[in-house]
Amino acid sequence: MAESAHNLAPLLHVDHVSRHFGGLTAVTDFSLELHRRELVGLIGPNGAGKTTCFNLITGIYPPSSGHIRASNHRIDGLSPSAINRSGIARTFQNIRLFQNLSVLDNVLAGIRRRGQLGLPRTMLRTPFFLKQRHDARAEGMELLATLDLAAHADQLACNLPYGQQRRLEIARALATRPKVLLLDEPAAGMNPAEKERLMQLIAFIRDRFDLGILLIEHDMKLVMTICQRITVLDHGEVIACGAPAQIQSDPRVIEAYLGEPTD
Amino acid sequence: MQSKKSDSSLAEAFDATDLPSGAGTLSYSNLPPGRFRFGSLKANLPLPILFALLIPLSMFVESDVVGDYYRRIIILAGFNIILAVSLQLINGFSGQFSLGHAGFMAVGAYLAAYPAMNYSQHFADPFACLLFYAAVAIVFVVAGTVLFAAFLLIRWTRKLYQALPMILLIAMLIWAMFDFARASAVTVGNPPKYYIWWHGADSLVRLFAWVTTHGRDAAAHLSAALPTGMVEPLSFIVLVLGSGACAGAVGLVVGMPALRLRGDYLAIATLGFAEIIKIIIRNSEPLGGALGLVGIPKYTNFAWLYGAALVTIVVIWRIAYSPRGRAIMAVREDEIAAAAIGIDPTRQKVTAFITGAFFGGVAGAMFAMHEHSITPESFGMAKSIEVVVMVTLGGLGSISGAILAAIVLTILPEFLRNLSPTLADFRMVIYSALLIVMMLLRPQGLLGGREIWPWRRFRNPDPVPTEDRDDYQGSDETKPD
Repeated sequence: MAESAHNLAPLLHVDHVSRHFGGLTAVTDFSLELHRRELVGLIGPNGAGKTTCFNLITGIYPPSSGHIRASNHRIDGLSPSAINRSGIARTFQNIRLFQNLSVLDNVLAGIRRRGQLGLPRTMLRTPFFLKQRHDARAEGMELLATLDLAAHADQLACNLPYGQQRRLEIARALATRPKVLLLDEPAAGMNPAEKERLMQLIAFIRDRFDLGILLIEHDMKLVMTICQRITVLDHGEVIACGAPAQIQSDPRVIEAYLGEPTD
Repeated sequence: MQSKKSDSSLAEAFDATDLPSGAGTLSYSNLPPGRFRFGSLKANLPLPILFALLIPLSMFVESDVVGDYYRRIIILAGFNIILAVSLQLINGFSGQFSLGHAGFMAVGAYLAAYPAMNYSQHFADPFACLLFYAAVAIVFVVAGTVLFAAFLLIRWTRKLYQALPMILLIAMLIWAMFDFARASAVTVGNPPKYYIWWHGADSLVRLFAWVTTHGRDAAAHLSAALPTGMVEPLSFIVLVLGSGACAGAVGLVVGMPALRLRGDYLAIATLGFAEIIKIIIRNSEPLGGALGLVGIPKYTNFAWLYGAALVTIVVIWRIAYSPRGRAIMAVREDEIAAAAIGIDPTRQKVTAFITGAFFGGVAGAMFAMHEHSITPESFGMAKSIEVVVMVTLGGLGSISGAILAAIVLTILPEFLRNLSPTLADFRMVIYSALLIVMMLLRPQGLLGGREIWPWRRFRNPDPVPTEDRDDYQGSDETKPD
């Protein structure tokens, strides 16, 4: 699987991207490739610039230098919504659901269908509009069922327990039919059993929806088990990149996490 | 599905009992649009019936059974319903706190009253009104294109030096101010060629005059060809829709920069906009200055007004409870998350703002053609706040709440006036006290984000049928793969 995927253009290609805020350099020379059905981990100590990388890819702020391509289309400098429309979806470290909308509405907000947003059709309630609305709703329920949330479809998002809110965020991102999914610490605040289950879910949706997934996670054990490749960031720089086994034995990574050896 | 699963050893390890096994296959309904013809009819058939109901109601209201006093209260409630419902879309659904609704009302009122008095000879010439709005539109597009091109050019200079756009903008503002100030001091003839701001404005005025004078005869001929019964209602409709569109255009111009602001800052910006409109009108000679316009032909009656209110409610209801409305509400809930799932926040906010402004303008136009005379003071901050109070009292995000609050707050002062002669003097004190008590007891408003019907919070107007839902939760075996 991996060999055939690598022959195609990468789904996401981050090419020597840097970003500074005034004098502070948040990310320097960050490069990354993500292919179809690949699960890549992005790890690093706190404040290493992992979330900044996500924000750069999803256009929350544009890179100061470097290029970002999604399936060979330049996406750096586009607005966040345009970047999402070119096939990149994300979740957030601190959950950002539409708290006062129902669970189903949260997912439906991400589903794009022709004839749904046009004002004349909206006002006239044409058969085509109703059909599209019905189909979108069926699609949304399908997605909720995939993530085991269908029973809660009518609840307000803010009333869900924490773990389900995390899953709803993933469902909402999947509703936009992305090719690349960026998950920002999806297992934060979960107990080991929940984490285990979430990691299985991530591998599952990657295969079901044929995604490339980029994952920020602090739990080493989990990252090492499910990721094919891992990129390690420290102080905004890539200090290591490769297979989990390689990363585990990399002296620079150990140094970044545990400090310099003193002997 | 089995083959998909065996592709990856990771997915194989995944325990299938934990998640529904059929997930991810595209089995959602894909019925042809024809199947929804009945639903479309079912949604739209009640509308003609509702409008037909206006006829007996209007006969009742216009009859002697309802006196002038009560008729006036009913009419005022109608204006307030349109204003409150349209502001509900902006404040309640898109969550952009606007304090400038009276400004849109003023634009609508004056841009309906002016052509009604000067172009149409008391509703005799609908096409002349249309010509007036066409001329306004042409001037708007020309000026907008030039200014937008200038804006893009200025924004581009950011690439040369970061602070350059701001410096250029301020310099241009000062230049324009001096230009107009010095040019107006030149009393004889035109100012010299280098007063380009003055000349720009002047050429726009001349463009406007050229369009209206050259089209006048054609418009008169077209109007003369109309059947006599149609002339007056058609003029009225053109005036109402035209001035509504002008208010919408103003909403676009105000909204584009102002909607970048949040919360209190946006409220102050919109408040400032409403004041600017008021001051422009107060100092504008053709619009009557501080004395206002007197002698506007009267045409608005119960049927027209409540017809317009019905249209407003239906349109805003349908926008609010549709995918478009969901996008608007998503932006209200979390702008960054909405952008991350492909919703353009600016677009949704501006759509809501323009739609609200349009109906604000419609209310203003109808108000002008009911009142005989209008002054800038009718559209002051007090009016804006009155509408905001209605929206907040009704409950943010509830259309029926806005309607209810508009009716209650129109009747309440009059009710207090009639209660007893001693209370009459204190009626505004009691009114304010009641508002305070109301907000203490129900801070979420009368209906608190719900509708009277269906009584569910942010409900789906027609939820997925239960049999579908059972299908999703159940096993996948019965579904064709």
